[in-house]
Amino acid sequence: MASAPAAISGPLILGDKSPGQVTDDVCSALERGPARSWWIAIAISSSMLLLGLITVAYQVLTGIGTWGLNNTVGWAFDITNFVFWIGIGHAGTLISAVLFLFRQKWRTSVNRAAEAMTIFAVICAGIFPLIHMGRPWLAHWMAPYPNTRGPLWINFRSPLVWDFFAISTYFTISLMFWYVGLIPDMATMRDRLTGGWRKKAANFLSLGWNGSFRTWFHYETVYLLLAGLATPLVVSVHTIVSWDFATSVIPGWHTTILPPYFVAGAIFSGMSMVLTLMLIARKTMGLEDYLTKRHVGAMCKLLIATGGMVAIAYATEFVAAMYSNNDYEQFAFINRAKGPLCWSYWIMVSCNVLTPQILWFKWARSNMVVVFVVSILINIGMWFERFVIIVTSLHRDYLPSNWTGYAPTSIEIATLVGSFGLFLTLFLLFCRFVPVIAIAEVKGVLSHGRKSHE
Amino acid sequence: MTPQHRVAPVSNRWSPSFKPSARAYAVFKWLAIVGAVTFALGLLFTPQRALSSLLLVSVGLLGMGLGAALFIAFQYVCGAHWAVAIRRVPEAMCGILPWAALGILFTLLVGKSLYPWTTDHAVGMKGIILSYPAVLTRTVVFLAIWLLLVRAIVRRSRLQDTAGDPSLSVSNTRLSALFLVVFGLTFWMASFDWVMSLEPEWYSTMYGVYHFAGLFLGALAAMIILAVWLQRVGPLRDVLTPEHLHDMGKMLFAFSTFWMYIWFSEYMLIWYADFPEETGHFVRRQTGGWGPLFVANMVVTWLLPFFILLPKQVKRNPNMLVKVAAMILFGRWLDLYLLIYPASVGHESVTFGAVELGMAVGAPGVFALVFIRSFRSSAPVPVADPLLTASLNHHQ
Repeated sequence: MASAPAAISGPLILGDKSPGQVTDDVCSALERGPARSWWIAIAISSSMLLLGLITVAYQVLTGIGTWGLNNTVGWAFDITNFVFWIGIGHAGTLISAVLFLFRQKWRTSVNRAAEAMTIFAVICAGIFPLIHMGRPWLAHWMAPYPNTRGPLWINFRSPLVWDFFAISTYFTISLMFWYVGLIPDMATMRDRLTGGWRKKAANFLSLGWNGSFRTWFHYETVYLLLAGLATPLVVSVHTIVSWDFATSVIPGWHTTILPPYFVAGAIFSGMSMVLTLMLIARKTMGLEDYLTKRHVGAMCKLLIATGGMVAIAYATEFVAAMYSNNDYEQFAFINRAKGPLCWSYWIMVSCNVLTPQILWFKWARSNMVVVFVVSILINIGMWFERFVIIVTSLHRDYLPSNWTGYAPTSIEIATLVGSFGLFLTLFLLFCRFVPVIAIAEVKGVLSHGRKSHE
Repeated sequence: MTPQHRVAPVSNRWSPSFKPSARAYAVFKWLAIVGAVTFALGLLFTPQRALSSLLLVSVGLLGMGLGAALFIAFQYVCGAHWAVAIRRVPEAMCGILPWAALGILFTLLVGKSLYPWTTDHAVGMKGIILSYPAVLTRTVVFLAIWLLLVRAIVRRSRLQDTAGDPSLSVSNTRLSALFLVVFGLTFWMASFDWVMSLEPEWYSTMYGVYHFAGLFLGALAAMIILAVWLQRVGPLRDVLTPEHLHDMGKMLFAFSTFWMYIWFSEYMLIWYADFPEETGHFVRRQTGGWGPLFVANMVVTWLLPFFILLPKQVKRNPNMLVKVAAMILFGRWLDLYLLIYPASVGHESVTFGAVELGMAVGAPGVFALVFIRSFRSSAPVPVADPLLTASLNHHQ
């Protein structure tokens, strides 16, 4: 009796929708012309993207000397952005794969959009290491294939190479998972549209879907298998990202808790980004019945949980550094809290540890303005977490004569703005051309036609 | 038959008449006696080994109780219904907590010889963190808070049987959230104090997570064995279905893999960075005859369970599931043995004899006796829980 708890917590989708209404609600938004607000939004985001494209071209032509890096701080803004974007992607996989395995039915309203964010975020993340290579046109050298370059071969012992494999695998599986989930909805669009290139595209992308029992059976089997594959992948990606740091011998980087701490942090930051964008989409696209306070509340609870894990990791690292009696370890952590870059540390703590605590209160979880503000603050806090880990661990190393500061150049900031432009542009295009809500899946959790127990 | 009707036969049957067979009872009793006698004799003749074993079984049993409490708390906090029908199993497992807490206190009070920092005092910040009064205070405070919170949750769940008040579920949800927060803030420090400080020069930030992974995995394995046993001997007949087992099996699979993930992450990072002060911990556990046990730990806790539990049929088959759970419990003992013995007894050679064997079999005996007494003191299912019907009729 899987619907019994629904009798206690109420229906997932409000308004007692019939399946036909769901199709209409989701598809009609796509069939209408874009709203004014959409044009304004895409004008802004594509301008940001253009700025990013120009600065990337400039960096590639001039070299990464255009960045604020120096001998001591060899990794800073770009790697911060890389880890930030990779992290954003993780919530999508959590919602679409992990919560699917946990039979969390509320995921159906958000999984499509969240997983689109995964794909877009991974694309944004990939840009930064590519630029950092200095000669991005040689990026294919990362792939181990028989070549004529003699003994020049990638270093299999480097976590940076594992990163390349992990992220490309993750991207491939996420894209497949997203697309497979999209097939029934593409068929719905195909059947609704009367003509034009959109119908042709939907026709092609729905792969001859006919909605038969056999088709559904195959679909569900593949979906479950992909969910099972995506779950270890999402853990592996941020684990390996954490190894980029933790395998080194730098105090503040080399700490064994980093893998699960990074995974939890990634889900934390990704969930806050999902909330930020979905709260906007909910309002502007009129999806209040599909993305209810209950959905937002569930995501807020995930923020408390993952934020708590991150907070425990901060505490463990700090106490373990004191416990170690190792001067360098102790200094690395005291320097974070009291050194010249301490402002970034305190932004991190206040945004990631203190801010989510307000979500313990039900009034806060059901106030969309509060949730929106909290989600923005967590996005900021998680960006600064990566900045703190990367830059404050580097800028004062073993030799005091090496100590230096770090400030990003305008080029670096413009690149970050450009990556946001890319992300938002892709997301806005997604909202226009793809059903934002998984129509077929939501139809499975409707309360319409089901008698409640009371 | 409407769902509501299924509750009635169960609630009629829940008179505390359930009694394990006299033979089973005798076995548990004798196991406990063997454990107690070996401990007493061990304390006289080889105190270091007896106290190390006491630490081992106390941490292991405390893990059973805490893992069960975490399971209950997760269920409440997530609003999950599927495991409500078998919740009395983890609730009764919590009964071991006071006894395990006594074991840990005894170890710290009598077994100062296990901890090098009690005689060879550390300096600096480590000296402040690892001072005897500080460790003892933390131990008492942590144990007291955990015991109080777990007791409050179990008491409310049982009170609901007679009071029938659904609001008790709400207050238990709040207490569960509080317990999870408190556990998260304290447990890693406790694992530093009790086990990691056996090698005071070594430290790893992953240590608390590693202990949590083992603790929860062990508790799940024990819960599966106990639930299947109670289904066979009576109280959970018609309650525990293959659907419940399937979910428990999935969790066992997931947490076995989680344990391996944490194990590997810690090992890999220490191996890769290759700091002598960090690698020593693993070197001591791979030389002097410990190597085969070091590998066996991974084989029984993850490698075999992973492949055996992959097919759906195995997770729904009580016989197979119990065997895998038993193997994981053996792995749990081996894991703690590997964490404690090379540090406190000696890493030059493997020490295993009557003391270790006696106490290793005594611990499950004590645990079973406490469990049975605790389980018998309430209804076998939470009869008035609002989610019980949903749980009894649970389908994937």
